Amino acid sequence: MNLQNIQWKIHLADGSAPNVHEWFKALGTWIPDSPEVFVDVADYSHVQDGPVIFLSGHNVAYSLDGTGRRLGLLYERRQPAEGSNAEKLNESFTSTLQHAALLEADGTFKNKPKFLVGDVKFFVNNRGIAPNKDATFATLKPELEALLNKVYGAGAYTLTREPDTRQRFTVHVKAKAAVSVAEALKKLA
Amino acid sequence: MSQQELYTSDAAKYWKEALSGKITPLWKMNVDEFESDIALKKMGKIDHKLFAETRLRMGAYGQRYDNGHRYDGKTVRNIPFPEAFKGPDTYWDAPGMQRIKLPWGGLSADQMDLFADLAEEYSDGICHITTRQAIQLHYIHIENCPSMYRRLGALGITTREACGNAVRNVSADPMTGVSPTEVFDVTPYAQAMFEFLLGHPDAQDFGRKFKIAFSGDKEGSSGLVNIHDLGLIAKMKDGKRGFEFYVGGGLGAVPYSAHLFSDFVSEDEILPLAQAVCRVYARLGEKKKRHRARIKFLVADMGFEKFRETVLEARAKLPFDPTWAAYIKDLNRLDEKPSRPAGNGVWPIAATGDAEYDFWVKTNVKQQSQAGYAAVIVTLPLGDITSNQMRDLAAICRKYIKDSVRTVVEQNLLVRWVSQNDLPAFYADLKAIGLHLPGAESILDVTACPGTDTCKLGVSSSRGLAGELRKQLAEKSTHMDDAVRNLRIKISGCFNSCSHHHIADIGFYGISRNVAGYVVPHFQMVLGGQFQHNGGTYGIGVGGIASKAVPGVVEKITGMYSQHRRPDENFHAWVERTGKATIMQSLQDIIEVPPYETDKSYYVDWGDVREYSVKDKGMGECAGEVVTLTDFGLKAADRELFEGQLRFESGDVVSAGSRAYNGMVLAAQALLKLNDIDISSNPDIVMERFTKEFHDTGVFNDPFAGPKFAQYYFQAHTHRGQGLDKDKTSLFLHEAQLFVEAAHSCYARMSMADASTSSATV
Ligand code: SF4
Repeated sequence: MNLQNIQWKIHLADGSAPNVHEWFKALGTWIPDSPEVFVDVADYSHVQDGPVIFLSGHNVAYSLDGTGRRLGLLYERRQPAEGSNAEKLNESFTSTLQHAALLEADGTFKNKPKFLVGDVKFFVNNRGIAPNKDATFATLKPELEALLNKVYGAGAYTLTREPDTRQRFTVHVKAKAAVSVAEALKKLA
Repeated sequence: MSQQELYTSDAAKYWKEALSGKITPLWKMNVDEFESDIALKKMGKIDHKLFAETRLRMGAYGQRYDNGHRYDGKTVRNIPFPEAFKGPDTYWDAPGMQRIKLPWGGLSADQMDLFADLAEEYSDGICHITTRQAIQLHYIHIENCPSMYRRLGALGITTREACGNAVRNVSADPMTGVSPTEVFDVTPYAQAMFEFLLGHPDAQDFGRKFKIAFSGDKEGSSGLVNIHDLGLIAKMKDGKRGFEFYVGGGLGAVPYSAHLFSDFVSEDEILPLAQAVCRVYARLGEKKKRHRARIKFLVADMGFEKFRETVLEARAKLPFDPTWAAYIKDLNRLDEKPSRPAGNGVWPIAATGDAEYDFWVKTNVKQQSQAGYAAVIVTLPLGDITSNQMRDLAAICRKYIKDSVRTVVEQNLLVRWVSQNDLPAFYADLKAIGLHLPGAESILDVTACPGTDTCKLGVSSSRGLAGELRKQLAEKSTHMDDAVRNLRIKISGCFNSCSHHHIADIGFYGISRNVAGYVVPHFQMVLGGQFQHNGGTYGIGVGGIASKAVPGVVEKITGMYSQHRRPDENFHAWVERTGKATIMQSLQDIIEVPPYETDKSYYVDWGDVREYSVKDKGMGECAGEVVTLTDFGLKAADRELFEGQLRFESGDVVSAGSRAYNGMVLAAQALLKLNDIDISSNPDIVMERFTKEFHDTGVFNDPFAGPKFAQYYFQAHTHRGQGLDKDKTSLFLHEAQLFVEAAHSCYARMSMADASTSSATV
C-alpha cells in the first residue's frame, strides 16, 4: 500500500480543558510564521464530536480535534506524500510531535496544553486505499510497529484497531509508560 | 506520461473502477470529462477562465484567500501556493468549496453516511447546510473532486449545475407531504422540474443563475416562492392539480418580489411553461453586465406584461416533448412511508414535566398531517454538523424512520415520520450526540451565510456574529416572551443576501465603515421583513451598526418590541407603527463606536483575532479628532437617505425619491472632497467629476461587484428620484442605500491603502 492521507492525533491530558479562543489565536499565528503553507483558521466550537479549531493548510492541516469526544492535536496530511511508507510515517509523526511541542511552549495559553504521547491515534483518512478492516491493519501493522518501537520500545505499547467499520482506518496506540513530547522527538531523531 | 497518470491517485483509480457500474451513464460521462479537463488544465491546454466556468458548473467554487493573499491584521501577506491556477487569480492548490445540490432537500441515511465520509476525507469534517437546501463542503482540493462526484453519483446525487449560470438546486418546502396545511405534496413536481431542466438545452445559456422553488402552502414560509426566479405554489382548481406560477423574484442587493405569472397552471403544463421562461431568459436576458443579468431585471426592463406575452409566445412555439407530462403517471414514486407504528395522535403533545424535553418539543417538533407522526427539526448551529454526528444521525434515522430526512432553508435537518410514541427516545438519542438543541424556527435559530469565514465576497463575519447572538440569546430563551422568541434573525456577510436577510424580522448584511481613520466591521440592519407567506415582505435598511454593537442592539429592539407591542401585533407591524427614526433614536447610546484607544475590541470582528484593519497613525493620542470632510459628507449622505426612508414610510413617495437621490449626490461629493475640498455641490458637476475621478479610474469599483453601484448612481442621475411609482421608489431606496454603502467601502479601501503605504514607507 502506498500510504497517503496519514493522520495522527495526540490526546490532551485530562484536565487541560482548552480555551478555544487561545487555540484559535495560537494556531492563527502559525499562518504567517511557519514555513508550512497554512491558509486560514476556522472555529467549530459550536459543534460536537469533530474539529474544534481547524487550521487549514496546503500540505498539512492541524486542528484542536474533539472527534470521539476526546480532545487532542490532529495532524492531517492533505497532499500526496513522497517516499517509502516508513519515511512517511516517521516524517508525519515527527511533525505532529514538533507542533505539539510548539503548543506546549506557546505563551498564548494561560494553562499550557499537555499532550499524552503515550495515548495516540493513527488514521489513514482514505477509504479508497485503506478501508477500516482487519486486512488493512494486517498490512500496515509491521510498518507502524517499526516506527512505534523506536518511540516506546518493543512490547511497551498496545495497538487496537477501531472496530466500527464506518470509521476511517483507525488504530489506537497506548503506551504502557508515559513519554514526553521531547523524549519522543529525541527517539525519532 | 498519459493524461490519466498525471492526476490519478491510487484512491481515485479505486473509486473510478469500483463505482463505474453504479453511476448513471450521463453523470459518468460528465465526471470523466471533468477529470480529463483537470488533466488538460494541468498540461496548460485550457485557459483559466474556461476551466473556472467548467468547475463552477460542477459545483466547485473558489474560497476566500484563493488569490494567495491574506490580511493578517497588520499587513496583507502572500500565501506561497505553488504557481498553478484553476481560474483567473485563483491558485490551483488553494482550498475551495464544493456545493452539492439536493433537489427538494431530500436525504437518505446512506447519503448521510456518505456525506460524513466525504467531509472527513476531503473537507474539514464538517457538512454545512445552505439556505437553499444544498450541502457545502469547504477546504476541498480540486483534484479530489472526481472521486467525490463518483461517490455521490453512486448514491444518485449529481453536482452538475450546482453553481454557474444555470438552474440551481430546485428547492421545496421541507414539510411538503406531511404538512397539515398544504394543498398537496409538491415533492414529485420539484423532482420532475429538476430532472427536466438538468442539462436542458434551453437552460444552458443564461447570463446568471436561475433558482426555482416549490411550495405546497401559500401562507407558509419554507418554500419562499416570492424570492425565487421561478416559483410554484400548489393549487387545486375544478378538482385538478396545478400551481400558481410566479416569475422574477429575487433577493441579492436589491430585492424584487416575484410576479404572479398565472394563477393556475395545470400539472401537465408546468414543465413546458418553465422551459419557455428559460428560453426567453436565455435569449433575451443580459449577458454582459452581471449585475443586471438575473431574470428579475429582464422582467423589470421589458415590463411584466410584455415579458409574459413573450413567454407565452415562446411556449406556443415549443415543439412537443413527451417528457412534459410523463412523470405524472408515476407521481407516487417518492412517497414516504413510516417504519414505526403511529402514536396516539393527540396534539399538542402533553408536557412531561421535564422542562428541557418539553421546551424542545415546543420548538422543534411539528405536527404531521398523518395522525400519530411528527416531523422533528434537528437544529444545527450555523448549519454545521460534524462527520460523526452525521453518521450517528443516520443510524438514529434507520432506527426510527425510513429515508425521510430533508434539509431546511434555515440550515437545519428535518426528520419526518417519527412516531409520537418514539419522541422521548428519539430525543434521548439526539441528546447523546449533541443534536438535541431546542429553539428551531425561533430567534435562537440564527441563519448565517459563510461570510468572511470562507466566502470571497464576505465583508463582515456573519457566522461569528450569528454564533455570538445564538450564545447570548440561548441564555434567555426559556424565559422569553413568545412573540420575541418567534422572531427570525438572518445575517449575510455582504449585500448579496445569501442568508435571506431581506425576509428576516431582524436582518443584517456586512458593510465596513471608516471611524476616525480605522476601518470597523459593521452590519447594515434591515427591519421588518417577513419569512411567512413564502417570504412575502422585504425589510428596509435602517442603519449601519458596528459588529460588536449588534448583540446589544438586538437585545434593545426585542425588549422594546416585547414592551410596546399591541396585542397580536407582529414585528413588521410594530416596526411600521414605531417608525425607524424612533427605533434608531433609542439605539443611539449603544451604537456609538468607542475610539480605538478606548476599546480595541470594536476593531476586531466576531470570530476573529486579527484587527479588521489598521491605519498606521504614528501617534495614538489624537485619533478621535481626525474626522475628515469625507467623514462628515458620508454621514450627511446617511442622514439624507434615512430621511428618505422615513418619507417613504409616511407615504410621501416624491420626497422619498428626492432625498434618496440627494443622499447619493452627497456620498459622491464626500468622496470627491478627498481630491478637492472645494468641490461644488451642483449635482451635474458632482456627477461629471465622480465619473471621471472615481468611476473611470476604477477607484470606486467594488472588488467583486465592479461598477454595479456606480451605475445605480448614473441611473438615478437621469430621474433624480422623481416620477417613480411606489414600487420603483422602494427599489430606488435600496439602490441609493447600496451606493452610499459602496461610497463608505470605497473610502475604507482608500484609507487602508493609505495605511499600508505609510506603514510600508516607515
Ligand atoms: S451574502 Fe455575501 S458573504 Fe454571504 S455567502 Fe453570499 S456572497 Fe458570500
